[in-house]
Amino acid sequence: MRFRWFGALGTGLCCLSLLASGASLRAAPKEAGPEKVLDAYALATRIDAHIKVKWDQNKVTPTRPADDAEFLRRISLDLIGRIPTVTELHDFLDGPSPDKRRKVIEEMLGLRPSVKYAVHGYVGHFTVVWRDLLVPQGLGNNQFAPQFAQQMESWLTKRILDNAGYDTLVRDLLTAEPYGNRGSGRQPGPVNPADRSAIAFYQANENKPENVAATVSRLFLGVKLECAQCHDHPFNRYSRSQFWELAAFFSGLTPQGARPRQPGAFQGFDPTRKQIKIVGTERVVEAKFLDGKAPKFEEGADVRTVLADWIVAPENPYFSKAAVNYVWAQFFGVGITDPVDEPSDDNPPSHPELLDELARQFALNKYDLKYLIKAITASRAYQLSSVLTHPTQQDARLFAVVQLKGMAPEQLLRSLNLAVGNLEGASRFPQGFRGRPGFNTMAFELRNKFANYSDKKTAYQTSILQALALMNGKLTADATSLTRSGTLAAVANSHFLDTEGKLNALFLATLSRKMKPNEAARLVRYVDGGGPSKDNDKALADVFWTLLNSSEFILNH
Amino acid sequence: MFRKSDLPHLSRREWLKLSAAGFAASSSSGWIERVAAETAKSPQRKKAVILLWMNGGPTQTDTFDMKPGHANGGPFKEVQTSAPGLKICEHLPTVAKFGDKMAVVRSMSTKEGDHGRATFLMRTGYLPQGPIQYPTLGSLVSKEIGNPDNPLPNFVSIAPYRQFSPAAFNSGFLGPQYAPLVVGDALQQFQPQGQAGYNENALKVQDLDLPADVDPRHADARIDLLKDMEDDFVKARPGVAARSHQTAYERAVKLMKTAAGKAFNLEEEKDSVRDKYGKNLFGQGCLLARRLVERGVPFVEVTLGGIVGGGFGWDTHANNFDQVKGLCGVLDPAWGQLMTDLKERGLLDSTLIVWMGEFGRTPVINQSRGRDHYPNAWATVMVGGGIKGGQAVGKTSAGGETVEERPVSVGDFLATVVAAVGVDPTKQNNSNVGRPIRIAEPTAKVIKEVL
Repeated sequence: MRFRWFGALGTGLCCLSLLASGASLRAAPKEAGPEKVLDAYALATRIDAHIKVKWDQNKVTPTRPADDAEFLRRISLDLIGRIPTVTELHDFLDGPSPDKRRKVIEEMLGLRPSVKYAVHGYVGHFTVVWRDLLVPQGLGNNQFAPQFAQQMESWLTKRILDNAGYDTLVRDLLTAEPYGNRGSGRQPGPVNPADRSAIAFYQANENKPENVAATVSRLFLGVKLECAQCHDHPFNRYSRSQFWELAAFFSGLTPQGARPRQPGAFQGFDPTRKQIKIVGTERVVEAKFLDGKAPKFEEGADVRTVLADWIVAPENPYFSKAAVNYVWAQFFGVGITDPVDEPSDDNPPSHPELLDELARQFALNKYDLKYLIKAITASRAYQLSSVLTHPTQQDARLFAVVQLKGMAPEQLLRSLNLAVGNLEGASRFPQGFRGRPGFNTMAFELRNKFANYSDKKTAYQTSILQALALMNGKLTADATSLTRSGTLAAVANSHFLDTEGKLNALFLATLSRKMKPNEAARLVRYVDGGGPSKDNDKALADVFWTLLNSSEFILNH
Repeated sequence: MFRKSDLPHLSRREWLKLSAAGFAASSSSGWIERVAAETAKSPQRKKAVILLWMNGGPTQTDTFDMKPGHANGGPFKEVQTSAPGLKICEHLPTVAKFGDKMAVVRSMSTKEGDHGRATFLMRTGYLPQGPIQYPTLGSLVSKEIGNPDNPLPNFVSIAPYRQFSPAAFNSGFLGPQYAPLVVGDALQQFQPQGQAGYNENALKVQDLDLPADVDPRHADARIDLLKDMEDDFVKARPGVAARSHQTAYERAVKLMKTAAGKAFNLEEEKDSVRDKYGKNLFGQGCLLARRLVERGVPFVEVTLGGIVGGGFGWDTHANNFDQVKGLCGVLDPAWGQLMTDLKERGLLDSTLIVWMGEFGRTPVINQSRGRDHYPNAWATVMVGGGIKGGQAVGKTSAGGETVEERPVSVGDFLATVVAAVGVDPTKQNNSNVGRPIRIAEPTAKVIKEVL
């Protein structure tokens, strides 16, 4: 009966869009016995089977698989948040093992002992990934946004390092102490500092029950309720009540009508409060689940705990679907439901059966994020090339070619740091550089300049100031200076290398590949000619500049 | 932000489905026809907006809605402007000469008294709501009336102080190509400029010049090498991200290599002209705004946050009168000379200048001789741009505490600003949350008597 669980909500709510498509609500689930628990690689095979069905239906010819260099660059950016080092690249390319891709994935995830990859590569990168989900950069409308981001990072890092199940993570968040100090405003709360920093999530939502409810519903149920907050929808007089009934679970956060205050300021937290007045009316409603059922509250129960238990219950398919869709979009740039946060009957998932199966297996595997990531990255679809080879590959939602993704500023800066060998201040990434005092570093400036407010990686856009910074900024000027650079000077002074060898070294350091024959023909001639000033080293610097400014370097592909 | 455009299949159909109702509803308001007719009258006329942003929330009682003789009034006197009956503060004598071109809205009534939220509200037209990344006014306007072929960017933000609400200065869901080119921003302002001294580099475009040790001939060669790299890569991998990268580089190169970039070179102006504007960040910013508008940039904003540079100088909780007098000493010559120059060049009637902050200040003077945040009843100003000048819109009570006539909401005001330059405030943009969002919020009505 698990698919009937949300049935009451699925009918007639125009404003409440559901993650589930109409189709999956209508389709009767297969209830023949308990579902088999698949391991990650078996699930990867299922992913490809579902995707192939759509390819066949749409007569799609998929592109070729990514070659090893292409794959390593992509998986490094996606799992550990940076391009590979030249050593990592050589080791991988030379590795004879037929299943070396799976091995490197497991090494990066910390699931297999590794001398090359320490697990904090993964931890650091996914701290940023989840931070951007929980306290999005778009919250720049709040002057405390940098502090929120930093606090959220410290809370997340601990849990990602422990590989906490996604259900645990969300449950912890939903039941976290929302203020640093309870009661007198002087005594520290009963939790350790890393736990306390979950307050950033509440502060980013201004500690307002209605804001927290809208965010929780969108992120963890895939149900978008914002519109039901303000509008009494003409077609459904219940939707607004339902929104506020959900908000009532968070009514203990702040007494209604209290003004937003400084982070950490105590405003009268009461974990047992469960009634709220619908703003703009005199009507008071009591906390109710979104399916309309009234929870059974024990005397003095913490109402957020009651809600958290309901949200993360394995019987709730929407929790798992919202999670797998978000993780999927991280890797493919496009969600199975896309936009990821706008599920509705008008916006059905491209592969509903795939979404269902991923969600069920994620739940059966205890919401293990590494399990899900391993399955997705082991799929053939993820390991395709980004080169379009046939017109039928153009629909991004068929996953027949890998989409170009913009990098988060953290990814770009860590990659730049590796490529040029001397980025000032970059060693503090990914944590702590955001908004920390004494931030007058080049890295901090670049971080601000390259912040991208799009939550869709395939739609990242470059601004003029970003282009100018990479063309003429201090970082590039230093990187391409024969006296001040790390990588370039080392390559230019490698007298044992011929021009082609030097150029390949620069290509490997930036684009993680060697030159193609047409590039070699063009560039060897240019460098040997010395460019406009007939200076071979300056011409080599020109090529390095070109590589650092290229789409191929700036984008994840 | 174009989240659908890379999915041609589903997107257009869905988009139409989503927006059909909205478009049908919007055309009934009647104002579109009027703007269309006006535009038709002079199809050549290119309009522009210069937003003078008064960071911190300027006092209306000591500037544009004075209460002489009342206990709330303070020591400043009123002076007559060039429009009969319209009076403003004695410390804005140059500005007062343009009363006939000026509409003072004295009945602004908003609900937000927090710097961050009010800044977001006034600059985007919406309160922060969940994940929706509302674009700032300049992005919205320049998207509609900007010329994509102008080598200069269509939106320039001069000396912004973004700390209150960083997102309120950004292009949000419209994407980075509509983001402002920022000069003289806060990071540079951290560097001390000195009380009297004005840093000549403060308003330069960052990274516009080649690094000193790069041979310009090599710089050209680099661009050629990059073109080859890009062509190979993008041909094989179509997509928004790579196209946008190419476009940004093309525009950056144009800005570097054409005469356009010289717009930012204020040293081309005579010293006497520069002095008239005031040798300070805001004064020189207004001069730069004039140079940009002359060159076809449709939206420029200049922030006045303090006498010497960025900050929130209008936040006059204490010692209000000395501070406001000082700020007017920077504001009046700069704004006045800007209007004088625009008028001389025949550009004042096509350039709308907007003066506003995030809210007003309490009419009641507090114990520190200051005034506190006050969104209930406050003032904004529009000048030029072909609006009906010489008038005050709305009226506050004798002490200025309440709006007595014609309350104007944020939406009404911003709708009027965009309509004045020929932009339909009911126009919808697709947002990052997949649903279309109007330039001005749906209940907004333009202030008819101004247009």
